[in-house]
Amino acid sequence: MSYAGVTPTARSRAMVRESRHLLFTVAPGATWIIIFLVLPSAYLMGVAFMTNGPYGLPEMPLSLASFERLAGFGFLGWSPGNLYTLLRSLWQTLVSTGLVVIVAYPIAYYISTCREKWRPIMLLLVVVPSWTNQVIRTFGWMNLLAPGTPLSGLAESLGWIAPNMGLYPSNFAVTLGLVYNFLPFMVLPLYAAFEKLDTAQVEAAQDLYASPVRAFWHAVFPQTLPGLLAGIVLVAIPAFGMYVIPELLGGGKGMMLGNLVANQFSGGANWPLGAAGAILMLIATFIGLYAMRRIGKRLGGGEEVVI
Amino acid sequence: MRKRTLKRGLTGFWWFTLAFLYLPLAVVMLFSFNASNSAARFTGFSLRWYERLLGNEEILSAFANSMVLAIVSSVIALGIGCLIGYGMYRHRHRKLGWLIVLIYLPIVLPDIVFGISEMAFFVQIHRLTGLFQPGLGTMIIAHVTFQIPFVALIVYSRFVGLDPTLFEAAKDLYATPAKRVIHFMLPTIKPALISAFFLSFTLSVDDFVISFFTAGPESATLPIYIWGAIKKGVSPEINAIATLMIGAVAIAAIISLMFSRRRQA
Amino acid sequence: MNDTLTLDAAEASRAEAVESTREASSIEMQGLHKRFGRDTVALDGVDLVIEAGEFFTLLGPSGCGKTTLLRILAGLEEADDGRLAIGGRDVTEVPPHKRSVNTVFQSYALFPHLSVRENLAFGLKMRGMSPEEREARVAKIAEFIKLGDLVDRRVDQLSGGQRQRIALARALVNEPDVLLLDEPLSALDAGLRSQLQVELLRVQKRLGMTFVFVTHDQQEAMVMSDRIAVLNGGVIQQVGPPREVYEHPANAFVARFMGHDNLYPISARDGDRLTTALGELTAEAAGEGGLLLIRPETLDLLPGEQAGENQLPATVSERLYRGSHAEYRLEVGETTLQATLNNRGRRLPEVGDRVTVKVAPEDLVTLSE
Repeated sequence: MSYAGVTPTARSRAMVRESRHLLFTVAPGATWIIIFLVLPSAYLMGVAFMTNGPYGLPEMPLSLASFERLAGFGFLGWSPGNLYTLLRSLWQTLVSTGLVVIVAYPIAYYISTCREKWRPIMLLLVVVPSWTNQVIRTFGWMNLLAPGTPLSGLAESLGWIAPNMGLYPSNFAVTLGLVYNFLPFMVLPLYAAFEKLDTAQVEAAQDLYASPVRAFWHAVFPQTLPGLLAGIVLVAIPAFGMYVIPELLGGGKGMMLGNLVANQFSGGANWPLGAAGAILMLIATFIGLYAMRRIGKRLGGGEEVVI
Repeated sequence: MRKRTLKRGLTGFWWFTLAFLYLPLAVVMLFSFNASNSAARFTGFSLRWYERLLGNEEILSAFANSMVLAIVSSVIALGIGCLIGYGMYRHRHRKLGWLIVLIYLPIVLPDIVFGISEMAFFVQIHRLTGLFQPGLGTMIIAHVTFQIPFVALIVYSRFVGLDPTLFEAAKDLYATPAKRVIHFMLPTIKPALISAFFLSFTLSVDDFVISFFTAGPESATLPIYIWGAIKKGVSPEINAIATLMIGAVAIAAIISLMFSRRRQA
Repeated sequence: MNDTLTLDAAEASRAEAVESTREASSIEMQGLHKRFGRDTVALDGVDLVIEAGEFFTLLGPSGCGKTTLLRILAGLEEADDGRLAIGGRDVTEVPPHKRSVNTVFQSYALFPHLSVRENLAFGLKMRGMSPEEREARVAKIAEFIKLGDLVDRRVDQLSGGQRQRIALARALVNEPDVLLLDEPLSALDAGLRSQLQVELLRVQKRLGMTFVFVTHDQQEAMVMSDRIAVLNGGVIQQVGPPREVYEHPANAFVARFMGHDNLYPISARDGDRLTTALGELTAEAAGEGGLLLIRPETLDLLPGEQAGENQLPATVSERLYRGSHAEYRLEVGETTLQATLNNRGRRLPEVGDRVTVKVAPEDLVTLSE
């Protein structure tokens, strides 16, 4: 009956076999991602702490100069250009995320109240435009907002813009482009939240709190909060790092962090400065993801949000 | 009474939003058939821009590059991602947190950081060793990197949805390890593989930022060509090529969706 | 055990026609040990011989090791220690795809990407049999299990009972030395379940194949088996024919698992005279154990108080009427006693009645803790 004399051969053989299997299946992909993404990102982070060479390439010695440049300190003393870009990125992210919430919330609610057989098709209709190439979608907005188009004409006649200026390039066009681009990212998680809505709670609330506003605030809104937060992360993180939309719709005064970073690797050629900007984006990304996990856990369920 | 007003208001808002979502695409498609080259006024129906496309060597080569890039990268990603997806499933009871982080990394990394990391890396390696000349090769590598996670997650979720005793039934019914792969696993996950391939393909064709930074002078894809054309000054040909791409991506995406539906069924 | 099964002559002759040409195989297990993780002991030294052609049942509560033992027989799990031989051949380290053993899984595990026909032929195909021969074998088994037009359906069009029969056919078509059944009927409702119990039993008798059946249902085990092994904590508690296990359980665990409640510690013993909390009773060849087992169906209830040997005064405190019989809860002094009686005669004892419980000396059994 005792177990003492058992030889562990069969067990250890099976364990070796399983480990070899794990290695065989996982190693190619893991190695690929490590070599072609983890190493390059690590290299990029290293570049941020190097000195800018004469041809825009990084050189020794290590320094924090590029972070100082990012904060506006250059050879010619302090200039606010880069800081403006950073602040504009933050501002555009906030405004566009807010607008996306305002549009997506009623849309997600509306879809969840429609007949069940229509809902997948309605969701599909919301998502399909985002399958098209981002450049093409943004180009569509350029066509719509250019000088001489009906929309620009309308804005002119209302006195919003100077004659013959068109609605683009402008910060407004960038905001519009961002809202357009990220709307589906918000509708999907919000819809998932509305679909799971416990209607008994809503009815109880209607019973207990007389006004519909209070019923909404106490019974509906808290239940959709996880979906809302997931949507905010899905919108805000990529919006903060957006490159294509400000580049095409924003013009010189619409630049965002993504453009600042990209320019350092093409025309402007200051790799360390660009890398420092990239680190800023990474930090924002991981803060966003971390916040989502924490809040997601606190709101219970511990449910993973699938992207 | 109040409820009905709300519902009517929402219905109106829904159609307004749909118009907002489809207007830019509709404009591109409409003006691709414009007889004049005005971007503001539609003067009549014509196919002249489509005819121009056929004569444009640059566009044809960009199209070829896009296709080669999408197909080759999707095939490689399918193989590698499929293995990881199965490995994640088979060893799901082990602590594989590091692997999950690794798999999600390409998904959560901002495009621009992804693109410039690869570019900086390839440029430096090229300077040191002569390998990784920017071009289709580096683009394929970059695309495979962001496609792997999607393939892996699709394959993994297909396996998780299966009755685990099926694997044992296959063993029990005399299937050797190789025959288990050929006669049981691959046919069972076939819908997931097809769906994953089309998703990878769509992601590749759709991508601009990462392609842009890893491309070489000769390897422009359609989005890169369009980008360049927009930057140079708008030509109505872009409307035509964009319309074709909208159509192609919509078809591929619908096929992917059909197979993912069947997967759930 | 065969008397519970009535095989008519026609069926018996048909049975011969389809009977496998292979000899049935015996199974020998020696000192099988299996541990999961660090401290979960699934099997703690199992020695067992299953005879060729036997319908053998592994019975026990969940976590007792019965499924692990079955999986070791199938080769799906490797024992940490010990030997296993099937048909006289050592298969301890033979992988499942090289064992002539097939399993009917609890979830049936039919391949969703294949038709029923392809499911049935899967094992034959993996063994490299030609398509014509596969077709013939599948047709034969379909006729034998009476599958009818089920073979042309898709797997997702089948009901639970149909899936069960397809799973059985898919295993049997390979003509294995041994068929393993892992709670194959547990997902079915009661009516279908008893119908399939009979069908399964007939199949086994006709083929004469060795069946190893896993269940946690002692009723099912008794109906089906030639012999039963009761497991607990990875150790075999008792092996024997159903009647022996039910009427002469080896210990308190087996007795309780077989559904016995009337167990009383023996406080004093004088030859055949046993003293328990119930009072003094005379037993006949009851063995030397320290626990007295009184099976509820051996009791008789007499009206009123009647003195006599092995007669105890009692009060009826509960009656569960079950149609053909009724179950009574009786208070004998400070202790309770369960009795099961057929519902014969006009008057059944009512709750509150004073009665006399009577038991025959030869029906009393003792067992160890």
